[in-house]
Amino acid sequence: MTISIWRYSHLALAISSFLLLTLASITGIILAFEPVSEKIQPYRVNNFDGITLAQALPVLRKTYPDISELKVNASQFVQINGSDANGEKLLAYVDPLTGKILGSPKEQNEFFKWITALHRSLFLHETGRFFIGLTAFLLLLITVSGTMLIIQRQRGLKRFFTRIARDNFAQYYHVVLGRWSLVPIVIIALTGTYLSLVRFELIGTPKESAKVDFDAIRSEPAKNPADMDIFKNTKFSDVESIEFPFSEDAEDYYTFKLKTREIAVNQITGDILSEVKYPTQVLLTNLSLNLHTGRASALWAIILAVASANILFFIYSGFAITWKRLSNRTKNKYSADESKYIILVGSENGSTFGFAQAIHQQLIKAGEKSFLSQLNNYTVFPKAENLIVLTATYGLGDAPTNAGKFAALLEKHQQPQPVHYSVLGFGSHAYPDFCKFAYEVNNLLSRQTWAVPLTDVHTVNDKSPDDFSLWAEAWSQQIQIPLTILPELQSAASKRLETLTVNTAATESLKNGTFAISFQTRKRLRVKSGDLLAIYPENDYRERLYSIGIVDKEIRLSVRLHPGGLGSSYLHRLTTGEKIRAKVIKNEHFHFPEKAPEVVMISNGTGIAPFLGMVGENKDKVPCHLYCGFREQSSYEMYQSLLETNQAAGKLVNINTAFSRAGEKQYVSDLIAKDADLIGNILNKGGVLMICGSLSMQKDVIELLETICQSKTGNSISFYQSHNQIRTDCY
Amino acid sequence: MMSNLYKTAFLLLVLTFAKPAASIAQSTNKYKCMIQMTNYMGEGAYIVISLVNNRGAYEKTLYVLGANKKWYNTVKEWYKYHTQKSEKISAVTGASAAGGDRSVNVIEIDKSKINAGYKLRFESAVEDKEYHMKDLEIPLTTETLSAKNDGTGYIRYVRFSAN
Repeated sequence: MTISIWRYSHLALAISSFLLLTLASITGIILAFEPVSEKIQPYRVNNFDGITLAQALPVLRKTYPDISELKVNASQFVQINGSDANGEKLLAYVDPLTGKILGSPKEQNEFFKWITALHRSLFLHETGRFFIGLTAFLLLLITVSGTMLIIQRQRGLKRFFTRIARDNFAQYYHVVLGRWSLVPIVIIALTGTYLSLVRFELIGTPKESAKVDFDAIRSEPAKNPADMDIFKNTKFSDVESIEFPFSEDAEDYYTFKLKTREIAVNQITGDILSEVKYPTQVLLTNLSLNLHTGRASALWAIILAVASANILFFIYSGFAITWKRLSNRTKNKYSADESKYIILVGSENGSTFGFAQAIHQQLIKAGEKSFLSQLNNYTVFPKAENLIVLTATYGLGDAPTNAGKFAALLEKHQQPQPVHYSVLGFGSHAYPDFCKFAYEVNNLLSRQTWAVPLTDVHTVNDKSPDDFSLWAEAWSQQIQIPLTILPELQSAASKRLETLTVNTAATESLKNGTFAISFQTRKRLRVKSGDLLAIYPENDYRERLYSIGIVDKEIRLSVRLHPGGLGSSYLHRLTTGEKIRAKVIKNEHFHFPEKAPEVVMISNGTGIAPFLGMVGENKDKVPCHLYCGFREQSSYEMYQSLLETNQAAGKLVNINTAFSRAGEKQYVSDLIAKDADLIGNILNKGGVLMICGSLSMQKDVIELLETICQSKTGNSISFYQSHNQIRTDCY
Repeated sequence: MMSNLYKTAFLLLVLTFAKPAASIAQSTNKYKCMIQMTNYMGEGAYIVISLVNNRGAYEKTLYVLGANKKWYNTVKEWYKYHTQKSEKISAVTGASAAGGDRSVNVIEIDKSKINAGYKLRFESAVEDKEYHMKDLEIPLTTETLSAKNDGTGYIRYVRFSAN
């Protein structure tokens, strides 16, 4: 179970408020239609915004001598209030220019009234208002924590709106819709909270009326209202309400309640008797009401309805995600102390657990004792023989929350017996720092004396089944336990076998235990140097992988013959013209880089195979440096002429060879140590290092490169690994 | 000169009594009643204007500011009377008045009650706030009907004007 502080608060807040939030959202959606239904009424006059009081008030006062008040509502309907000639009550929408009655205001629809009460107070008066206000506040916190989660997920504010890696329906749309409806939801939550605070007077909205000095009121010179400046300069669109003078006495005046201030106006002279600006709190309250109810704009009301519907979706999808994460929780049949296989997971949202779970189940089915846990639970495993680490990367190449302590724990707990390890990174190329943490874990493990690499570090892009099965094949090849393809990963299984014809058989070329073999493929087969060839020596589940080099349009393998080795002795037995069934596995991360300014190729032994093909593919003559190690001079000789031809053609800058059992008894890492400056420069300018060969060579080289990186570039090696500048394919 | 004076006096007399004389046929007078609220904070106030007799008992509901029946019970004293009497008040019901508002309504007063020991009571209540049984209570006299009467609760003052 993975929990970060933001995710924990996001979930805790959601759990504590979802019932009321559901209710508020549903009622909110319904209430959004109230302003919409009001606005379609025909009571708003054309050109409303341009009408001034000078145009309208004299007409209205003449037509309705007993008018006491005029109101302009949020839909810009002009409503007058007063009494008619018979002293009967008058309440009507009018055309302000002609005084014509357009209709009479209806009381709020009973249904909307009922829903409004439910939305505001749950029919519980103050108690209900408190809980609804609290819910609004919680919603605000949910949006804040949600925003933080998106920022973390997208690795920074600047990438807020970049592509989102798709895990599953609920998760994907939770994030996608979360980003788009963030603004209206924050507004709903903020205004709702503000209105509640005002309601409970935690934010005061002091009222101040115009203070009129009655001694200073003049009763002349009398002016025609149509000529009074304040009447001419005040537009109806700024008016909230106007109180008409109670009598014709000069002491009774007009009160204009405008959007931002209140003005008292002498009805005879047009003098401004007093002017009071509303305090900010009052203006904010009005703004909040407009924004929260959508009363001022039908379009905004519809946006609010959509946002409220989104809240409902978030509640659903949020719980779907949580449920999924909870169901990924592990129940171990065997304890950590008794298990031979230890699977440790680093995962932020639990999706990596699905893969781990599948491996775990298969091991148990195969009769093995397997223990599954998270990286932060790393400790001493006394019976462990194999450690599998599956980890995602979070933020800017950081550890997922349930793996943050792993580095420290690894220092602290040394395994008493040698343990084989294999690291599988999960990530997406949509983000920079692809699988950075997985590389770091692999590098950390490689430095432990007890740790023996079983496979090279592998990565899975966007949960690619092909990527995963590549690792699964490599792993089960070593362990001899078949990891049959996971049900959800079946597409990898359906990959069809190719028929290959042996062009040059092995027998002639065997020197010092290594040999080369080449195959003819069908013409349209798409295969590049660096891809892998999977062969099935016994026609069963047992699979052997070899790095492919394409030389003269043939698949060329370089193989060390192991006595009794299943794959190597099978290949060695093949004769020219013989046909075999095999599978080409795309291994794109180990293709010759398309856009590198400079390339360094590092190999030992038969690891030179893909490079033999790549130098030939270097048509743009990108500066290429080859560092290759062999046991003896004679092992190198079988490649020498091919490499030197390419060097002469400008496709290879230099060839550095090390022989471990002859002459200076050098290893390939010794060559690299000498050229540390060159290597550092190449990494600095974006060049690519490719490493192919044995895992022990890889371990030495990576260790050396770590010091070169630190001293020459200031970045750690995992930075270059995650940015695809250091690529490995070792076995 | 004398005749002019008589004419003027007669004219004044006519002007003075003309209006009341015209309404002598009716038993009630209509008044515009203006309630100016104080600047209190909170929900709209429910205000009931009642006619109260010399023993302090309710005689008639003249006006109710506030349309939602569910809040009537907050106007406590009047509500007791209202539930017993079941008066029809829909014709004399208007909107509630919030802080700073001015509300002008027309009320009808039986002429025979004026200057006859009756009182006008303005009773007010705001949801979850103080209740004022006598926000304003004034003797129903021609004098008070032409004066400005100050309230003690949510009402700042009340003024009347014959309609």
